[in-house]
Amino acid sequence: VEDAAAMSAAGPAGRPMAVTPVALLGVGAAAPSLRLAASEVAAAWGGGGRGAVALCDADEDTLTLAWQAAVDALEAAGVGAGELSGLWWGTSRPPFAEGPSHAFLSTALGLDPTADGRLCSGSAHAGMEALLAAWDALAAGHARLALVVASDALVPGVGTAGEFTTGAGAAAFVLGPADPAGNGSGPAARLVDRRSRVMAVVDRYRGDAEAATGDVYDGRLFREEVFLPLMTAVGRDLGAGDGGPARWSLADPDGKLASAVARTLGGPLVSAPVQAAVGDSGAASALLGLIQGCTSEAEMSRLGTIAYGGGRATAVTVEVTRPVAGADGAMSRLAGGRPVSYVGAVRARGQLAPMSDPIQMGLPPAGAAFVRGNVEMLGLEGARCAACGTISTPPSIHPRCNGCGGGELTAVRLARRGRVQTFVVNQTMPPPFLAPLPMVVVDLDDTARIMVQGSSADAETLAIDDEVTLALRLYAVERGIPVYGYKAFRVARPTDGRPSDESDATAVGAGARGAGAGAGGGRR
Amino acid sequence: MSWNKVAVVGAGLIKFGELFEQSYEQMAAGAFDAALANVDKGIDRGAIDAAIVATQRGTLWGQEGIGGNTVPSALGISGIPCTRVENACPTGSDAFRIGAMVVASGVHDVVLVIGVEKMRDKSAQEGLLARAASGHPLYTRGETAPVLFAPFATRHMHEFGTTPEMLASVAVKNHHNGCLDPYAHFQNEITVDQVLASVPVCSPLRLLDCCPQTDGAAAIILTTAERAHEFTDKPVYVAGFGVATDHPYLHEKSTFVSLPATTAAAQRAYEMAGVGPGDMDMAEVHDCFTITEILDIEDLGFVEKGKGGPASLAGETALDGRIPVNPSGGLLAKGHPIGATGVAQLTECWWQLREEAGERQVAINSGFALQHNVGGRGSGVAVVNILTRNRA
Repeated sequence: VEDAAAMSAAGPAGRPMAVTPVALLGVGAAAPSLRLAASEVAAAWGGGGRGAVALCDADEDTLTLAWQAAVDALEAAGVGAGELSGLWWGTSRPPFAEGPSHAFLSTALGLDPTADGRLCSGSAHAGMEALLAAWDALAAGHARLALVVASDALVPGVGTAGEFTTGAGAAAFVLGPADPAGNGSGPAARLVDRRSRVMAVVDRYRGDAEAATGDVYDGRLFREEVFLPLMTAVGRDLGAGDGGPARWSLADPDGKLASAVARTLGGPLVSAPVQAAVGDSGAASALLGLIQGCTSEAEMSRLGTIAYGGGRATAVTVEVTRPVAGADGAMSRLAGGRPVSYVGAVRARGQLAPMSDPIQMGLPPAGAAFVRGNVEMLGLEGARCAACGTISTPPSIHPRCNGCGGGELTAVRLARRGRVQTFVVNQTMPPPFLAPLPMVVVDLDDTARIMVQGSSADAETLAIDDEVTLALRLYAVERGIPVYGYKAFRVARPTDGRPSDESDATAVGAGARGAGAGAGGGRR
Repeated sequence: MSWNKVAVVGAGLIKFGELFEQSYEQMAAGAFDAALANVDKGIDRGAIDAAIVATQRGTLWGQEGIGGNTVPSALGISGIPCTRVENACPTGSDAFRIGAMVVASGVHDVVLVIGVEKMRDKSAQEGLLARAASGHPLYTRGETAPVLFAPFATRHMHEFGTTPEMLASVAVKNHHNGCLDPYAHFQNEITVDQVLASVPVCSPLRLLDCCPQTDGAAAIILTTAERAHEFTDKPVYVAGFGVATDHPYLHEKSTFVSLPATTAAAQRAYEMAGVGPGDMDMAEVHDCFTITEILDIEDLGFVEKGKGGPASLAGETALDGRIPVNPSGGLLAKGHPIGATGVAQLTECWWQLREEAGERQVAINSGFALQHNVGGRGSGVAVVNILTRNRA
C-alpha cells in the first residue's frame, strides 16, 4: 500500500493522471420507510420477481433521504455542519427540477451560508459526480472538510418492469485530508484512484417534465452492448485483474447485471446486500455498496466502486484499512421498512391523485411569510433570551422573549430530541395532508417547546412522555412547490425504517463507531 | 359592588343552522329585528346611536372586505357610527364589552352590538383548512381547529384520569339543552354510547365531541343604567367583565390542563362585579369541544382543577344541577357562528336572568350569570362578561 500523497497512473487515453488521495472520515445512509414487494407488482401486472424495493412515503423524497444520511455521516465523523467547507449532492431527482434544492438541504443541515458545494444531476451517475467534485475540491485545496450525499428515489412507469427493481436510498460521506490526525496513523479508508469512461448512448431516460424514468433499449441490447462493455472496461482501467481492486460495489440497474460484471472483473460483489435491501437506488446505489464494503464485517482491502448512468461510468478505488465510522449503523438503516400495497405504492409515487383540486393554504409557499419563515424552519431555529434563558420558537414571530419579555435574543439551533408533552391524532385532514396525522407538542432536550407533525406510523401507539427525535420531512407539495418541515418520530424499533439514533447501538459491530469517532476527534 | 353602569334592554337572535338561503346581510337584519322586538316598551330603530359589529372571519365566506362598517345599511340605519370588532372566538363577547364601555363613556347612549358569521358558504373542508394555514407558515401546517383543543384532552386524561365518558357527558347534556332551545342548530338527544361510537375526528376527540360549523346572528341593545327604564322594567345590568391574553401558539402554552387566559379574564370579571364563582346562577361557556367545557368550569372556579370530568358526569352542570352550564345547548348543540356566538350566549343569560327561558329555565337565586369565550390560534384570548338583574 502506497503511503504517498500522490500516485501516478496511466489515464484512459494514455495521459498521465495524478490522483491525490482523500480520507473517508464518516459515513451515513438512509432508506425510505416503505417496501414494495415484487409479489404486489406481480399481482397487479403479472410477471415475476423476488424480494422488495424501497419506496418513499408521501412525506419522503431525495431531499429528506439526503438529510437523514448526512446527519448520520456528520455524527459518525464527529464533524459539525458548521465546520464543513461545503455540500456536494448528487441525485437524478432534485426536488425542485429547477430551484433551490441545494440551498434547502444545506440550510436544513446547518451549513454556514458561505459554504461551497455542488448539485450534480442528470442521471444515476450524479452521486459519483458529487463525490468526484468534492474530491477535486479537497485536492485543489479549495475545501478542507466536504460533505458528499448521493440520494435517489426513481419513479418507474406504471406497469413497467422497472416497478420490480426501482428503489430508493441515500449514502453520505464526510471527506477530509488523507492524514487527518497529522501523525501518520492514516484514516480508516481513503479514496486513492479513479477512472471514467463515456459511451454516447441513450439508455435509461426521462424527458423534460416527464415523471417516470424508463428504459429505451431492449434489455439484452443494453446488457451486451452498453452496460457490460462499459463497466468492464472502466473496471479494467482501474487495474482489475492486474493488482487493482479484488472486490466490487457496482451500479445495478436491473438487479442482475452487476453480478455478471463482478464475475468478469474477478472478485465478490459486496453491494449485493444493499441492492437486495432497497433495490436500485440510482445515484446512491454504488456508493451505498461502498459503505457496505467499509463495515466491520467487510474484508479490509481495496474496494472498487463503479457508478453508472447517462452513458458514463466511473470507477473509484477505496483503500479500506479499518472499518469506517458509521458504516455499520448506516447499513442497519437499510433494513426493515413498512410493507405497502401496490395501490399505496402508486399513490406514494404520485401516480394516483384525487380528481378534486387540493384546498389552497391561506399562507402559500409563494408568499412573503415563507421568505421570512422558511430558513428558520429548515434550520430549526429558536431565539434564546440573554436575560432568562427561555427559548422562544421560531425567531421571526418572537421579537421579544416569551418568558420575560426581554429583547436581547440570539438565534440558536434547537435540540432534535425531546419528550412528548401532549399530542393528538388528526383523522380529518383534507389533502394535501394525509390522515392519520399526529400533531405533537415536544419538550426538547434544550428546554424549548415546539409543536410539529408526527409520523403516521406512530399514530396508533404514541403516548405522553415518549422520547421522540425530529427529522426533516416533506409536509406537502402546494401549488407545485415542495414544503418541508420537521416531524416527530418516536425513538424505538431500529429496524422499522424510521430515523432512530438508537439503531446504531444494535447494529452489528457497533464498536466501529467508537473507533471512527476517535479518528474524527483528532481533527480540528 | 357590581359595575352596573350599563344595561341590556333588548336582545335576540335568529335560529342558528346551515343558512345557505340567507345572506350575511339578511342574517344581520333578522337578529336586529328580533332584538328590537324583544324591547319590552318598544324602540324605534332610529334610536340606535351607534353599532359594534362582531364578525370574526370574513374569509370563511370569501368576503373579508365587507360585513363590518356597512352593516347599518342592511339594518335600515345607514349613517350611524359603526365599527367592526375581531377578537378570535371571543369576538362577540368582546364586542359586547366594548359596546358597554362605549355607553359608559357617555359618547353614545344607545348602542347596538350585533354578531354575524357565515361559516358554511365555503365547503366544510375549506373552512377547516382556513385555520390550518394561518399563523407562522410552517409551525401551523396541519393545525385544524380540533388540534387546538384535543392536546388538552390528551393531557387532562393523562393527569387527572378524565375519561371519554366524562367528555361525552358534556355533549349529551348540551344536546339535551339544545332540544329545549328553539334557536339551537341541533335539536336532538344523543347518548354517551353514541358519542363514543361517533367517528374519530382528532383523537381523543370524536365527531360528537365537536361543535358544528353554523351560520347565525345575534343582537343586543345596550343603554345607560339611568335610561334603561325608558325601554323596560326588567333591565339586566353589566356587572363586570374581563379580558386576558396568552401566547398565541399552541407550543407556547405553559400548561395543557388549563387555559390561563380564561382564569385571568375570570379573575378580572369577578373582581369588577364584586362576586365569585359561587354567586353565579348559571353560565354560558365556550364548549367548542367537550374538553373545552371541562377546562372552562375548572378555570372559571366552578369546580376544583381536575374535577371537571367527574362533575360533568355527575350532572353538576345540568339544568337542575349545582351550577347549570350552557342551558342554551352551548356551542356543541346551538352552534358556533363565531362573531354571533358570544352575543347569543349573552342573550341566553339575559333571558335566564329575566326568567323567560321556558323549559330550559334554571333557578335564579343570587341573580348573576356568567358568559365566557376563549379562542385564537392557541387559546390566546379569553373574555368573561358577568350580567346581573340586581340593580345595586
